[in-house]
Amino acid sequence: MFMYEKKLQYPVNIKNPNPKYAQIIISQYGGPDGELGASLRYLSQRFSMPYPELKGLLTDIGTEELGHLEMIGAIVYQLTRNLSIEEIKKSGFDTYFVDHTTGIYTTAASGSPWNAASIAVKGDVIADIHEDLAAEQKARVTYDNILRLVDDPDVRDPIKFLREREIVHYQRFGDTLPQSCKLFA
Amino acid sequence: MNERERLLRQLSSVQFAAWELHMYLDTHKNDREARRIYNLKLARANELKMEFESKYGPLTINNENNDEWLCDPWPWEPKEDC
Repeated sequence: MFMYEKKLQYPVNIKNPNPKYAQIIISQYGGPDGELGASLRYLSQRFSMPYPELKGLLTDIGTEELGHLEMIGAIVYQLTRNLSIEEIKKSGFDTYFVDHTTGIYTTAASGSPWNAASIAVKGDVIADIHEDLAAEQKARVTYDNILRLVDDPDVRDPIKFLREREIVHYQRFGDTLPQSCKLFA
Repeated sequence: MNERERLLRQLSSVQFAAWELHMYLDTHKNDREARRIYNLKLARANELKMEFESKYGPLTINNENNDEWLCDPWPWEPKEDC
């Protein structure tokens, strides 16, 4: 089971709302390389993992990704507070607003809703761990792209934290390769 | 930064160190030095969590704090709303 701790893994305190940034960053909530897909990929793959190290690591990283999902939701929520209709129209946020108002919805920046086709569970230790290594790098690139598009230091700070976590998770998954390859030794 | 925020950051940083070591130990279970530091960080995180909860309300639910659990702020709410 899961227990909730009523705090973010890393603080989010954004002073200036910016609907354009919200529309970009929502992709890490429900986009192809976002945190929802990351959690579901790892928390699903663990059931068929053969080694305790891998069951533990997938449980831990999948759980941390749920915390990252919450951070992204907090960022988007804080970026869309107290907006005027003029700001919503001018920024291009109107296409999101018409369907979701300022609710937080699992969608990519392009407007496609979250799709399970963006994750894989193959039931094979080698295939799944390599999927995870690639997934962490794809999420890292998405955070790099967000950092290319966003100037506000209040937003960049938690995004940089999340980007670093992708790199650490990649390293942890990499640590399991000798173990997972034992199957074929 | 107010006192609540300062203590929350302190707790989060120690929890983060413990979490990082916990994940590392998943794949390095015989690293005794890492386990030693993990145990220290975990003990400190528990102390800080108790201190925070005694001053500012529950972070996790238990049978004693059901009323306070619902109190604002929730984690996604910015500090000026607190």
